[in-house]
Amino acid sequence: MTTAPAVQRQVLAIVLPVVVVTAALLLMECLRRTGALPVFIPAPSDIWAEVQRNPGLLIGNLGPTLSKALTGYAIAAAVALAAAGIASLISALYAPIYNLGVGIQSVPLIATAPLLATALGTGAETQVIIAALSSQFPMLVGAMQGFRAAEDRHRELLHVLSASPRQTFRYLILPAALPHLFAGFKIAAPSSVLGAITAEWAGADRGIGAMMLYALFSYDISKVWLSVLAVAALAGGGYALGALAERIVVFWDKASELER
Amino acid sequence: MSKAISLHQISMVFQGRGEPVIALEKVDLDLPAGRFGAIIGPSGCGKSTLLRLVADVMQPFAGSISIGGAPPRDARLEHSIGFVFQAPTLLPWRTVRKNIELPLNIVGASGARRVKRSAAELIELVGLQGFENALPSELSGGMQQRVAIARAILLEPQVLLLDEPFGALDEITRQKMNLELLRIWAESRTTALLVTHSIAEAVFMSDFVYVMSPRPGRIVSTLEVPLPRPRTFAMMRSREFVDCVNRVRDGLFGHEVAPEPESPALLEVY
Repeated sequence: MTTAPAVQRQVLAIVLPVVVVTAALLLMECLRRTGALPVFIPAPSDIWAEVQRNPGLLIGNLGPTLSKALTGYAIAAAVALAAAGIASLISALYAPIYNLGVGIQSVPLIATAPLLATALGTGAETQVIIAALSSQFPMLVGAMQGFRAAEDRHRELLHVLSASPRQTFRYLILPAALPHLFAGFKIAAPSSVLGAITAEWAGADRGIGAMMLYALFSYDISKVWLSVLAVAALAGGGYALGALAERIVVFWDKASELER
Repeated sequence: MSKAISLHQISMVFQGRGEPVIALEKVDLDLPAGRFGAIIGPSGCGKSTLLRLVADVMQPFAGSISIGGAPPRDARLEHSIGFVFQAPTLLPWRTVRKNIELPLNIVGASGARRVKRSAAELIELVGLQGFENALPSELSGGMQQRVAIARAILLEPQVLLLDEPFGALDEITRQKMNLELLRIWAESRTTALLVTHSIAEAVFMSDFVYVMSPRPGRIVSTLEVPLPRPRTFAMMRSREFVDCVNRVRDGLFGHEVAPEPESPALLEVY
C-alpha cells in the first residue's frame, strides 16, 4: 500500500541525489573557471566536450571492457556455485574450498596481472581470468553461506513430508540461499569491472583500462577523468542491476530493504 | 481414515559432550486409531523427542514403534503423517495458500488425487479468508500456526502429531485455538498425539493423557479422560475434569501432592 508520505519519500529519494550532483557539478565548473582548482581537476564541461569530440572512442572501449568483465563474472559465478555445491555436499571440503577463496582474494592482482600477461599474453583471455579472480570471493562466500542457510526446523518439515533431495533443494535450499546469493553476487559485479580494468593496465589494445593508461601517459586530464567516470558508471551500474534483481526476486527479505 | 500409534519399550540415548544422556527409558504407549492423546511432562523430559521418533525424524536407540502396524518410515513415505511444530514453521517466501499447498508439490499429481478438501476450503476451515495471498511475516503468531495446521491436514494424514503447537501464544488465544483444533480434528477423525506442558490443556483436549517424568523420560501414568465430546469450556468446571487434572498432577509431582483435596480452591485449575 502506498501512502502519501511514502510517495513523498520516493520522490525525495530521486530528487535529492539529482540536486546534490547538479550542485556539485556547477560548483566544480565555477571553481575551475575562477582558477581555484588545481590543474588535474578538469571542468565538467571539458569532460563533456571530450565525449562530443570523439564519441566512438568511449563506446569502442566500453564494449570490450564490459564483455570481459561479464565473461569473467559469469565464469566466477559458475565456479563459485559449483564449489559451494560441492562444499555443501562434502563437509570435509568446506574449509579447504573456503580457504582457497580467501587465498585468491588475498593475492594483490595489481602486481600479478602483469605476470599473468607475460605468461598468457595480452589477449582478452588474460583479462577475463583476472576479472573472474577478482570477483570470485563475494560470490563464493554468498553461495557457501546460502546453501547452509535453510533452518533445521524447515529441513525437518521437508523430511516429514518425505520430500526427495531434489524437492528439498527446489522448495527449501535454493530459496533460503537466495538472499545470500544476491548479497554476494551484487557486490561481485563492481569487482569484476575493476578486475578487468586492472588486467587491461597490464597490457591490452582496447578497453577502458587501456584508454585510461594512454590518457595518463599523454597527460590528457579530461580523457583520464572520462575513463574514470565510465568505469565507475559500469561498476555502479552492475551493482544497481544486481540490487534491482534482488528487490524483485527476494521480495520476502526485510533486511535488504534498508539498503534501498 | 486413521491408524493406531503404538510404542513398545522405546529408549533413546543422546551422545552429548562427555557422558551419554538417557533421554527416554522403556516408554510404552498405545493410542487407539481415531483418538486424541496428550503427552504431558516438564521441560526436558523427552516428550518432543518422543514425537519426533513417531514422525520418523529420529530413530530410537531401542524398542519399536508402529503406526497402524507398520514402521513410522512407511507412514512417512506414504505422506500419512501430519506434523505441527512448536514454532510455526512456514516458508517465508510462500504465501498462505502456497504454504498450505506445499505437500501437494511434494506428492505430485498422483498423490494430489487423495486431497478431499482444497487449500481454499482449509483456509476457510482455519478462519483465514482474506489472507490467502499474505506472506507469513504479515501474520500474527496465532494465524501462522493456523496455516501450519491447515498444511498438516491437507493430505488427510492418518496421524496428526502436534508439538506444543500453541506454546508461544497467550493464554486467551491459546484456549480459543484449542477449541478450533478440536473442531478441525473432529472433522478429520485422524489419530492425534499432542505434546504439552499444560495440565488443563492435556485433559481438555484428549481421550488419553500420558504423564511423563524427566531424566530419564518415562511414562509414569496413563489415564483416560471420561468427558464427552464435543468438549466445551463449561466442562472445565465439572467434577470429572477436576478429578482428571488432580490425577495428572499426582502423576507429575508424585508424593509432593496431598492425597485428598480438602479445599475448594483446588477447583481453580488454571
